[in-house]
Amino acid sequence: MNKHPMFSERGPAFWWTGFTALIASGTIFILFVSLVIESVPVFKAEGISFLWGTDWFAGEAYGALPMVFGSLVVTGLAVVIVLPFALGSAILTSEFLNGRLRLMVKAAMELLAGVPGIIYGLMGIALLTVWVRDVFGLIDGNTLFTAGLLLAVMILPTVMTLAEDALRAVPGEFRDTALSLGLTRMETVLKVVVPEALPGLAGAVFLGLGRAMGETIAVMLVIGGIDRIPQPWFNLFAPGQNIPSKIGREAAEALGFDVQWSALIALGLLLFVMVMTLTSAGNFLLGKAR
Amino acid sequence: MNNRLFKERISMIALYGFTGCGCLVLAVILATVFTKGAPAISVSFLLEETRNFGLEGGILYQMAGTLILMTGAALVCLPVALGSVLFQTEFLHSPKLKKIFRLLIYSLNAVPTIIFGLIGYLFFGVFLEAGVSWVTGVLILAVMILPTLHVSIHEAVESIPKHYREAGLALGLSPGQQMRAVVLPQSLHGIVTGTLLGLARAAGETAAIMFTATAFSGVRLPQSWTEPVTTLQTHILVLAQEAANPKALTHAWGAGLVLLMLVFILITATLWIRSGLEMEAER
Repeated sequence: MNKHPMFSERGPAFWWTGFTALIASGTIFILFVSLVIESVPVFKAEGISFLWGTDWFAGEAYGALPMVFGSLVVTGLAVVIVLPFALGSAILTSEFLNGRLRLMVKAAMELLAGVPGIIYGLMGIALLTVWVRDVFGLIDGNTLFTAGLLLAVMILPTVMTLAEDALRAVPGEFRDTALSLGLTRMETVLKVVVPEALPGLAGAVFLGLGRAMGETIAVMLVIGGIDRIPQPWFNLFAPGQNIPSKIGREAAEALGFDVQWSALIALGLLLFVMVMTLTSAGNFLLGKAR
Repeated sequence: MNNRLFKERISMIALYGFTGCGCLVLAVILATVFTKGAPAISVSFLLEETRNFGLEGGILYQMAGTLILMTGAALVCLPVALGSVLFQTEFLHSPKLKKIFRLLIYSLNAVPTIIFGLIGYLFFGVFLEAGVSWVTGVLILAVMILPTLHVSIHEAVESIPKHYREAGLALGLSPGQQMRAVVLPQSLHGIVTGTLLGLARAAGETAAIMFTATAFSGVRLPQSWTEPVTTLQTHILVLAQEAANPKALTHAWGAGLVLLMLVFILITATLWIRSGLEMEAER
């Protein structure tokens, strides 16, 4: 007899739970397949040049490049801004704080992670855009930079919590050995613990990237909503557009089956592929760290 | 001063600085939402319906809509999450299949919520003919919070001590009886915390429901399956886009305060249950 049968006995409980498990595991495939099927019309109309077209006029032309560019820029910016804060607080919390303080920081991060996106959006539109406008002397505070800044705040708890987990997964002997060799506590952390936790830390950053890329509502309110790559392209203080914001702005009017809807779904497909790539890389690295 | 000691001090200050900034963000959010939202809050704001496109009146039906969507989503999601966890832990024995199952759930957790909105509308709105309605919203949110519930329940089931199961097996319980007598009662805290977190996530979601389940004005409680609702989230969204009008902005902050309180109460309850358990484990 097989030592490890694939499933145990099959009573009603088996079939009932099996059915729900099928729903839970099949959803991701249904999402992907639907995205592929529904984006066919726009690829028929525009050809593969949909991917690098720079013009988007509903009913006439559909090009995804400005939105892809915007997504990459705001996501990258968010991670660059959040990195010192997330890693710094992860190191402090994991290596230096005692039980009670540590729990308080962790609780603060959980609450922060739960703040609804629309609240960030409201703060962004009422305060952040005004600050950015005044501090940098702009005409309009709705820019790619504003969106990146807001996203940085939003992904802080994700990156921090996962990074802290990665640091704590490093066995205590590493620290004891380093300390006994005469390293200071900070040297121990920076030269022994952090290098050892590097895959986990990288995983945390990748998952943060994935989260930032798919965030919709807050970004939509502050990014400016112009489907254009800024001139010159590295000018972050210009309005732009990213994929979720584009879908969010146009989905209501395009709801249905024409080419515009298909174009939005195709953008969704691009977003899905990019986010899944980042997340898989992140999960792979985190798994390696465990 | 000793160079190494100096470096140590400087880096320590930097770490505290970065962490302080992180926690400061939470304080700033709370302070802002409270100071800007509190002036809007009054009994009539909470108990009246919206008038004049959100510039007057209250947010009664917005609160009702948010509650309908989030509780509906949790009710639909809970049996599915529970079932899929039990299948994974009780019937699936191959480590490889378990790993694949976990990866699928983690991937679902990473899907941007706007995509749930797009495809959810196609499935529930078009194929099930629910249209732009609260039912579509409930189903979309149910799918969206599935990983939250699944992960939380799964953790609780995995942490049941092995000898509990062995005792059940020794009594000759079938898998179904084992679930009812051992697994479910012992993982109750995971079910509760998972559901609370799922409720919080559903309450805070805007992108997935803004074009699939809600309308802005002229909506009260849904009278049929295919009517839209109005929610706090989408109410804030519309008012926020009129940020130049101070009256609209005040109402947006007021609704924001109510929403934030709702979410924070749910999360605090989860943290409280979890810390209670940790204390029990230490004893």
